[in-house]
Amino acid sequence: MLETVLKAFLILLYATFVGFMFMGIIRIVTARIHRRVGPPIYQPILDTIKLLSKKSNITHGLIYDFGIIYALGATILALMFIPLGSISILRAYGDLILITFLLEIPMLGIMFAAMSSGNPWAGLGAQRALLTLLAIQVPLGFAIVALAEFYGTFSTYQIVMAQQSMGWSITHLPLLLAAIAYDIVLQAMFGKEPFDIMIAPGEISLGPMVEFGGKHMGILQIQHAIALFAETLFFSNIFLGGAVITAFASPILNTIASLAVLLIKQIAVLMIAIFIGAIFPRFTIDQAARFYWKWPTIIAATGAILAAL
Amino acid sequence: MNELMIIIFAPLLAGVLAWLLDIKGVREGLGVIGAALPLAYLIQAYQTLGTQSSIQYSILLAGFKFEFLLYQINWIFAMIAGVVGFAAVLGMVSTARDSYEWLFALMSLTGVYGVFLADDLASFFIFWEIMTFGSFMMVLKYNRKASLKYFLLSVFGAYAMLIAIGIIYAKVGALDFATIQQAFYQDAMRGTFGADTLFSRNDMLLVFGLFLVAFGVKAGMFPLHVWAPDAYSETNQSYTAMFSGVLSKAGVYGMLVIYILLGTRLVYQFGRIGAAPKFGYIIALLGGLTIIVGGLLAALQEDIRKLFAYSSISQIGYILVGIGVGTALSIEAAIYHAISHALFKGLFFLIVATIVLRTGKTEFKDMGGLAEKMPITFAMAFVAILSLAGIPPLVGFASKWLLFEAVIHENMPILGGMIFFGSAIGFVYLIRFTYAVWFGQRPTELDDTKDAPLPLAIAMGILALLNVVFGIAPGLVAKELNKIFGKEVIGGTIYELNLGFGRYNGLFITIWLVVGIVIAAIIYFLGAKVRKVPVTDTYQAGNPVTMEYNLTIRRNFFLPLKETLAFWLRMSFDRLYQDIGNWVEDLAETLRHYVYNGNVQAYAWYLAIILLILALWGV
Repeated sequence: MLETVLKAFLILLYATFVGFMFMGIIRIVTARIHRRVGPPIYQPILDTIKLLSKKSNITHGLIYDFGIIYALGATILALMFIPLGSISILRAYGDLILITFLLEIPMLGIMFAAMSSGNPWAGLGAQRALLTLLAIQVPLGFAIVALAEFYGTFSTYQIVMAQQSMGWSITHLPLLLAAIAYDIVLQAMFGKEPFDIMIAPGEISLGPMVEFGGKHMGILQIQHAIALFAETLFFSNIFLGGAVITAFASPILNTIASLAVLLIKQIAVLMIAIFIGAIFPRFTIDQAARFYWKWPTIIAATGAILAAL
Repeated sequence: MNELMIIIFAPLLAGVLAWLLDIKGVREGLGVIGAALPLAYLIQAYQTLGTQSSIQYSILLAGFKFEFLLYQINWIFAMIAGVVGFAAVLGMVSTARDSYEWLFALMSLTGVYGVFLADDLASFFIFWEIMTFGSFMMVLKYNRKASLKYFLLSVFGAYAMLIAIGIIYAKVGALDFATIQQAFYQDAMRGTFGADTLFSRNDMLLVFGLFLVAFGVKAGMFPLHVWAPDAYSETNQSYTAMFSGVLSKAGVYGMLVIYILLGTRLVYQFGRIGAAPKFGYIIALLGGLTIIVGGLLAALQEDIRKLFAYSSISQIGYILVGIGVGTALSIEAAIYHAISHALFKGLFFLIVATIVLRTGKTEFKDMGGLAEKMPITFAMAFVAILSLAGIPPLVGFASKWLLFEAVIHENMPILGGMIFFGSAIGFVYLIRFTYAVWFGQRPTELDDTKDAPLPLAIAMGILALLNVVFGIAPGLVAKELNKIFGKEVIGGTIYELNLGFGRYNGLFITIWLVVGIVIAAIIYFLGAKVRKVPVTDTYQAGNPVTMEYNLTIRRNFFLPLKETLAFWLRMSFDRLYQDIGNWVEDLAETLRHYVYNGNVQAYAWYLAIILLILALWGV
């Protein structure tokens, strides 16, 4: 019991820290692409501390507060089910479909909070977010179907184990197609250009985030950091082989090595998203829907059908 | 008097008494008793079913032997009817306007019980018609056009069923399920050994097609769904909780009856695709289309009742997919989803009933900011939204999860993609409902809106509680479902569903969600205090705003979606049926004009022609 609590706490701490580092990396890499120096890597942490320590906060009612808390709570929940190397709290229940759903539900909380503020920009942002969700769901669904059909199991951990013997998922053609589609979907899940339609800075004043300030925004920053970590981790687990290192004699060394390998994979996933995000301008929402229902869907559906044969 | 008869006829009797006495207070009491009695007997029957496998009753009437049988599957369906019917009747205490509604609402409940408990095709058909008639009369009271559309399609379906029953009777010579099932089974055996079969390939195709139409109409299957949006919305919304929650399940149950009666023979005749029987695959594919069409149209509605009507169609699609795939697991998953659909959709329609009762408005453009005025109803809506959108740990997720795993595990990528799309679209239209009704600015005329009346609140409470309990302990339902096949199809404990290739634990999810929320709440409460500001104190590109500005987007929320789908939305089955209807009317007019033309000589000519035909025939 105590061990579980400790483990969960450490995972949470690690995920939050690495997530913030990822946010820092995004800012630095984007800056370097633009030939700027950029902020230090720990800048998002400073930002969050500043936001959390604001003296005056506003609220628009109970749901406004609860939505934010729910969003962070649900993100933490999602994190607990994704296998993190050999350490994980609930990896036996880390079911593909469950995790796919769990990665989406924090949005429900953000949406609830944003909409209860009654701000028209927030409403607009919610609309765009929902249509993006609808658009990405088709290729995402096919990618998950391809994975489940290829491996015959829904357990993420078992998929990681299977990749230890069969090679990474992306070395198999059906799953390579699924991975490509999923990676295009990730761009929207991270909220990076060209699919940052939901937040759209400069266009709709940050959309759902427009009314949040102070500690609400701070909590959302933490949520974003953990979500970034969880999403990259999930992708690395199902397509890039995860990491189960058993080369060392000491279990602690093994764990550290697994985490390091995973971290490299996660950063690789993140880098692709940054590189694409830095050079593409934003789509409009109907363009995004048409795009996702065309190319990624065709690619992922081909993968799913090939995996079923 | 057998208890099965009490279960079936108690609602009807209560309805007739309520209609005759028509005293305010008494009729409500009678109605509630009429709905509670069958539920009590069903719960009692659970014990009996544990010791003996079924309860049977038959009556001889007008040359027919009407047989009723209560066993595992139809006990589950009858329980859906019992619980949701009871909740809907409680809701009607607040919303029913006169004794007319009590009579027909309870009559349709009797119809549903009869359909679920029937063990021969004659009583199945008769109760099917009672159910249709009761619900038709409920819609007729509110909107004639909608009711006629519903009635025409239902009659079309019912007589398709009657023809199918006729064909079966002509060949088999019996109407009771056991004999028919035996006959089809033997026919399949004969076919396997190369002997002549009783039913030809075309016979089977016809019977299956006719049943598919009959049950498809009731379930709201694409493309026979067009009656549902009108009929579900143009009636007492408390009644719709039953209409959508229970009556549509009669169609689903009908699909299961196809499996039970004709299953082996159909599989023998048409074979399988992968693990799914080919005839089932047709049901599943239509179910998949139902999910997509119903969901997309739900997102584009501007009326709260219509939105949920289309949503109801969309959710039935899931059940059809599960039944269509036809493995033991997918059928259990489908029945599970039927249960959860009845629970959350019943809850939704009761919420709609409350909103309509308290505000008198049904369109999104007139509403907003009701969460503060109706906190209890909003809390119930919160549960229902989470459940329908498939958010763990509510029952909506457990059943969807089962369905996903059951379908995808059978290597059916297209169906898998369809159900994934369905889950996202569910999310989308629910948020639209949430935004337009509960949040944002409140129009000034809604300022003195009161919360739900007590009977409605109790009814909603019952359904919401079941949504939560079955979500946290999904094994409770799974255990009962396993008894259908007599083996452990869905393994696990009360809190856990274990399929071998996937596991889901409702309790752990609840615990960790609570842990996560507590952590988030700690961070939240560590920060400085919050100050409450009104809705108008908001960012509007730096401009001051007052209540005169409408800041909440209430109309055409999903305009970009509409534009993206413009091409597809131009095709409408509703219009197609409308055109066919007009065409038939024109034809009748033409016939009347030319055949009954009022010319005596013309009638003399008809006589001459007939005589000529008879002469040529050699009479």
